[in-house]
Amino acid sequence: MIVGERKPFEEIKESVQGYNKLLIVGCGTCVSVCMAGGEKEVELLATQLRMANKLEGKEVEIGEVTIQRQCDREYIEPIVEMARNYDAVLSMACGAGVQLMADMLDPIPLIPGLNTRFIGIAEEEGVWAERCRACGQCVLGQYAGICPITRCPKSILNGPCGGSQGGRCETDPNRDCAWALIYDRLSKQGQLDNIIRVAPPKDFRNQDSPARQVNEDYLKAEMEEAAVE
Amino acid sequence: MSTINLEINGKPVSVNEGITVLEAARDAGIKIPTLCYHEALSPYGGCRLCTVEITARGRTRMVTSCTYPVEEGLVVTTDSPAVHKVRKMIIELLLARCPDVPILQSLAKEYGVETLRLKKTKHDDCILCGLCVRMCAERMGTSAISFVGRGVDRRVDTPFHVQSDVCRTCGACAFVCPTGAIKLEDITDNTPIPIPSEFDTRLGNRAPIYIPYPQAIPNVPIIDSSKCIHLLTGECKVCESFCKVGAINHGQQDEVVEIEVGSIILTPGFEPFDATIKSEYGYGRMPNVVTSLEFERILSASGPFQGQVLRPSDARHPVKIAWIQCVGSRDETCGRDYCSSVCCMYATKEAIIAKEHASEIEPTIFYNDIRAHGKGFERYYESAKNKFGVRYVKGIVSGIKELQQSKNLILEYSGEEGQKVQEEFEMVVLSVGLVPSASSKDLAEKLSVDIDRFGFCETDELSPNITSRPGIYVAGAFDSPMDIPESVMHASSAACLASQGIAEARGTMVAEKEYPPETDVTGEEPRVGVFVCRCGTNIARVVDVPSVAEYAKSLPNVVYAEEYLYTCSTDTQIKIMDIIKEHNLNRIVVASCSPRTHEPLFQETIREAGLNKFLFEMANIRDQCSWVHATHAQEASEKAKDLVRMAVARVVNLEPLHESPSNIIRKALVIGGGLAGMTAALGIASQGFEAVLVEREGELGGNLRHLYYTLEGQDPQELLSSLMAQIEQEPMIRVYKGAEVSALSGYVGNYETTIKMADGNTERIEHGVVILATGGVEYTPTEYLCGQSEKVMTQVELEERIAKNTLNAKDLKSVVMIQCVGSREEDHMYCSRICCSQAVKNAIKIKDENPDAEVYVLYRDIRTYSMKELKYREARDRGVTFIRFDVERKPEVELVDGRLQVKVFDSILGTDILLQPDILALSAAVRPQPDAMDFSSKLKLPLTQDGFYMEAHLKLRPLDFVNEGMYLCGLAHAPKTISESISQARGAVSRAVTVLSKTHLMVGGVVSVVDEDRCVACLTCVRSCPFNVPRINERGVASIEPAACQGCGICASACPRKAIRLRHYSDDQVMAKTAVLCEE
Repeated sequence: MIVGERKPFEEIKESVQGYNKLLIVGCGTCVSVCMAGGEKEVELLATQLRMANKLEGKEVEIGEVTIQRQCDREYIEPIVEMARNYDAVLSMACGAGVQLMADMLDPIPLIPGLNTRFIGIAEEEGVWAERCRACGQCVLGQYAGICPITRCPKSILNGPCGGSQGGRCETDPNRDCAWALIYDRLSKQGQLDNIIRVAPPKDFRNQDSPARQVNEDYLKAEMEEAAVE
Repeated sequence: MSTINLEINGKPVSVNEGITVLEAARDAGIKIPTLCYHEALSPYGGCRLCTVEITARGRTRMVTSCTYPVEEGLVVTTDSPAVHKVRKMIIELLLARCPDVPILQSLAKEYGVETLRLKKTKHDDCILCGLCVRMCAERMGTSAISFVGRGVDRRVDTPFHVQSDVCRTCGACAFVCPTGAIKLEDITDNTPIPIPSEFDTRLGNRAPIYIPYPQAIPNVPIIDSSKCIHLLTGECKVCESFCKVGAINHGQQDEVVEIEVGSIILTPGFEPFDATIKSEYGYGRMPNVVTSLEFERILSASGPFQGQVLRPSDARHPVKIAWIQCVGSRDETCGRDYCSSVCCMYATKEAIIAKEHASEIEPTIFYNDIRAHGKGFERYYESAKNKFGVRYVKGIVSGIKELQQSKNLILEYSGEEGQKVQEEFEMVVLSVGLVPSASSKDLAEKLSVDIDRFGFCETDELSPNITSRPGIYVAGAFDSPMDIPESVMHASSAACLASQGIAEARGTMVAEKEYPPETDVTGEEPRVGVFVCRCGTNIARVVDVPSVAEYAKSLPNVVYAEEYLYTCSTDTQIKIMDIIKEHNLNRIVVASCSPRTHEPLFQETIREAGLNKFLFEMANIRDQCSWVHATHAQEASEKAKDLVRMAVARVVNLEPLHESPSNIIRKALVIGGGLAGMTAALGIASQGFEAVLVEREGELGGNLRHLYYTLEGQDPQELLSSLMAQIEQEPMIRVYKGAEVSALSGYVGNYETTIKMADGNTERIEHGVVILATGGVEYTPTEYLCGQSEKVMTQVELEERIAKNTLNAKDLKSVVMIQCVGSREEDHMYCSRICCSQAVKNAIKIKDENPDAEVYVLYRDIRTYSMKELKYREARDRGVTFIRFDVERKPEVELVDGRLQVKVFDSILGTDILLQPDILALSAAVRPQPDAMDFSSKLKLPLTQDGFYMEAHLKLRPLDFVNEGMYLCGLAHAPKTISESISQARGAVSRAVTVLSKTHLMVGGVVSVVDEDRCVACLTCVRSCPFNVPRINERGVASIEPAACQGCGICASACPRKAIRLRHYSDDQVMAKTAVLCEE
């Protein structure tokens, strides 16, 4: 899932200054699950803003809505008309959601409410950790399901480096050395050969920016449908 | 008695004939200041402060309201400018006479008396109100004092101005004096003796009418008949004038009640050891030597010093405090050779709490052995040493001397090298032992129950709780010294035994309560009734109750609002029911005290009136208003109105909730067929329910199969075969051997479990409760050459070898035992509890068979708690040598030319000792089952840091899991003895029977419900629920089983999609309160 965290309140307050009608839009998928931009967070932020405005004697109308996903047009469409009644929209989605919303609501100003952090997992209640950097060329099969690109601060492919101390990383005594983890698990699997082999430099062309992906099969289907019509 | 109608401050009032205007006004909640008025005395009209303006028969005049009787049509004004002016003048004149009296000063402030126009003539605090004189004459019948002199010389005095010999020193005169002018020493030459509070261990005082302690049962005041003036002289009865409901009964007598019962449980408890017997410690002579129970009260916030650590001699904060352990324990000289089991830990606790109260305190504990053998205790002891800096000194203090000036105490003890040390402390706490209460000896005699030489109840080691007389059982410290969780388990066990013989009669004497059908209020406009409580004077003294009731009437949807003297009284309950019907009310608010104590009562009442019990809300205008704002009457009244407005706002949003019956499968699953599991299965069967016993090994018995003799010399194998035979014959028990629980689902009353057989087949069974008795294992040591030499073995192996004769004690010249192998160290910071007794047991066994054998036990602390101490003593008497070692300097074991060589540093001799034993026995730790982690996650049960199963509450719920309907016993819980396993297993049965004995459970009501359309299956609820209730169902959304939901609301508040709603506490219902609070 994509993990985000809410921006500091002061920053949000600053960024919505001057708008008299503000719509806060939550996203019901990844950022709901990581407790940053779901219905509850929308309600909390709206209440916080209302209180702050009241203290400062400002009259601002704040609307709230949470949709299933802000990265799909179909979910945004039903709120477009409603959103056009507002001076600005504050999106509690990840960066992707904010951008699609901005496109679809153009020219209404779109303000991000979150900082998008990483693709990760929930370690336990309230704790998330990064697991994937979307490098476009997955090597997890070689490394016992532990990603050196993400979990080693140096992202090195031929580890460990000299900073691996007793299974911990030199950058933080609480951080496991990804390469120690890889070594331990590979040795359990009897596949230590995998790290003896020298890994060639990664082909970062696969991580083209801006990345775009086309699935011909679906594309064709669409075209055929169009042709039939 | 006829009713009189009058008008006070423009408000019509109806009162009974014969009362005064003052009483009528006070009943109506109107405040009139008084000084010479007293409820228990006849009116006097001396201070004139209660002056009011009355209009009767067309004439207006000023009268004292305390003396003026009510009459029909009277018009009273208590707050007119004229009244105010008169009172102001009275106060000014009184203040001129007594300028130093606080109550007059505050009245002066209230009435705006700023400057004194009259000069004070002489120092006097007496305002001549005559309360003292009247009290002594009217109520005490003594007249020890009276008014003497005339005019300006008038004063209160005794006859002839000499100390009175008729005065009883009751102190009533001084008590009622509003100005503090009465000094008892002027009246009598007797000094009043305060009544020491028994509960505060005589460190504080109490009144003659008192509630013995905060949680007393019943929690009502009692009159001390040895101190009550009325019971001693026939006079007084002042208390009766104050109790408005007439609850005081001076004539109450002891009653003899006969009850027919099927069995009896004895729980007379213990008394602290009388520390004066150990006269060398100066208790009773030296004020700063206190017992541990006294210190417990000193630490208590409700104790004699309000929780401040002060020493009795001068109420100073002590810095150096010493605890002396084993006062009246492990001590033959005072006939108390047993160990009291609990003192090491309570001393540790007291030292930590003292330190938390005042960080400058330096606690020192003088001990023999630290016995931290309970669950989690070793870690607590370590934190006392390392985190809180409690100093532990090995060795007992030989005597205490008191310094004359400072009252500090000099303690004498022997230092580490055996030298005499003297150390000064400011306070000493004696850790007194547990002795059977004095009355329990009589009780035992009356019931023909045997007691031992100490006075504890006699029981057999392998049949705990069972006294010498059939049908009579014992629980708690009357059996032997034990701590809280042990007492709870022991008591539950006694309950199991006491009820199994009479299980058939269960429920036969219960009368079902019948309710009228519930009124359907759906679609009805809210019609709210508000009942405002005066709580006698508890609320009304501060809060203007009539105005609160009046205000409530003005609130939207409120159709009825009235005040009551006591809303919780029986007659008010009947009234509430009548009014609900009369006004067709569909929602009720009671503004009174705490819902924690009273909500169920009112809910019951409205249900009896046909309303759903959830259409009810309380406003706490007592605990959270009048009590905490006693000095701010005005603001408190406003707050009470706010609280009522909030309650009304919520109640109109409430909806009826219904609980529905959920069936209970009256069958128990017992996991684990060792001693605890077998005992539990038999217990369930003897209570009349079916049990399914699952054992993963091929035969029953578990660890019990490897035990051959006990500390007391009994035969565990006999117990094993008897249990197996009973189980075989018991038709209510189904046994699965070689089978494992592979899956468990469901909730209390309705579990479904899959059992995987040895042959790979599976079987599914349904049951209502689970008793977990999966046991533990003996640690296999890797240290001390264990496994490398057949001369090194564990205690269990040694026992087995001796019993099976593969080792003949007669061949042994020397045996060494090493304690704490795998216990009490980093990673395994717990005491295995049983190994010290095991070592003592095996040492005695060897000595029995071969008195010439040398037996050395190398130990850290010997933890033969309770009666096991007697065996420790016996072992020493019989020549077993105990050598203490430090964990930093553990013994070293070597094989030299095929011979064992053990080197240990003896701190008393200050040198290494070299031993060459024939065999070495290791007291190996008790470990949790190696697969406990996997199994516990399968059952969603929590484990402790050490891998044992975690109970719901370490002290108070040692037999329950947090998950309802699941219970635990045996080694799965923590290391324990055979006897303890048996009583814990029976205790778990008692707990399980609380569910099994019901035909159904009522479920629903205040539970969380999921809106499936909103749920994004984020798992937040699954992770945050403390009871493991929510799960993701087959539709991929969260679902919450109402029968298992505890209604805590954590999931509802955590849900990021707001898909979960806690019924009765939904957002709109809660927000309604805050919304009206903020309305302007």
